[in-house]
Amino acid sequence: MEITELLNDHTIKTNMDAKSKEEALNELATLLLDHEYITDIESFMKDIYAREEIGQTGIGNYIAIPHGKSNFVKEIGVAIGINKSEIPWESLDGNGVKVIILFAVGNDNEGAQNHLKLLSMFARKLGNDEVIEKLLLSEKTADVKEAFAN
Amino acid sequence: MKIIGVAACTVGIAHTYIAQEKLENAGKKAGHEISIETQGTIGTENELSAKQIQEADIVILAADVKVSGRDRFEGKRVIQVPTEVAVKSPNKLIKKVEEVMAQKQ
Repeated sequence: MEITELLNDHTIKTNMDAKSKEEALNELATLLLDHEYITDIESFMKDIYAREEIGQTGIGNYIAIPHGKSNFVKEIGVAIGINKSEIPWESLDGNGVKVIILFAVGNDNEGAQNHLKLLSMFARKLGNDEVIEKLLLSEKTADVKEAFAN
Repeated sequence: MKIIGVAACTVGIAHTYIAQEKLENAGKKAGHEISIETQGTIGTENELSAKQIQEADIVILAADVKVSGRDRFEGKRVIQVPTEVAVKSPNKLIKKVEEVMAQKQ
């Protein structure tokens, strides 16, 4: 299994120009809706914000990983936005974020073990400084995929 | 030294695995043997063996939820922190572990 199987060119956006957390989340959730990972944007966002309430999803180094389980997820996936400028976000190091990775995961994951496994491998990559550096410097979709390739 | 641990976050899809990766990297960098079990949405992975547990000098629990099978670590020295501590400052946490072990001897 390759982590890149989890990534979809259409749900990766570089040079994103969001000015706020809300804008960034909306933009990425729209990509997930358009490409049929989620079925309802408002309900999905409610579940994402419910997780935001519990604690910071900014993991430091300008990376945020908003996530939550939602009944409105049809297929496990991720949307990745590389924003042009830093936007305010609750984070562990007190900085804003430039890379936003929105996870879509359902509540019922029966039959989705492969995808869950890929997602855990993907999340692990985010604990790796080299991957983070590459992500922050990504200008094209291919750069983002390359960051997760090895 | 030999460090083992468990990572388990609230939702079980992101922080658990980031904490695992960061702790393992930080531990290895400091010259330790380290293995972190993950308890997430997918279930338990990288499960600690009885031998690993027996040989371990110390246990790190990076968890926001109840760790299942905690009784496996009975009689061991255990450090418990929220997952975000492992995500935010893994090197500091490993240092802390070293300090705790130094006090013991």
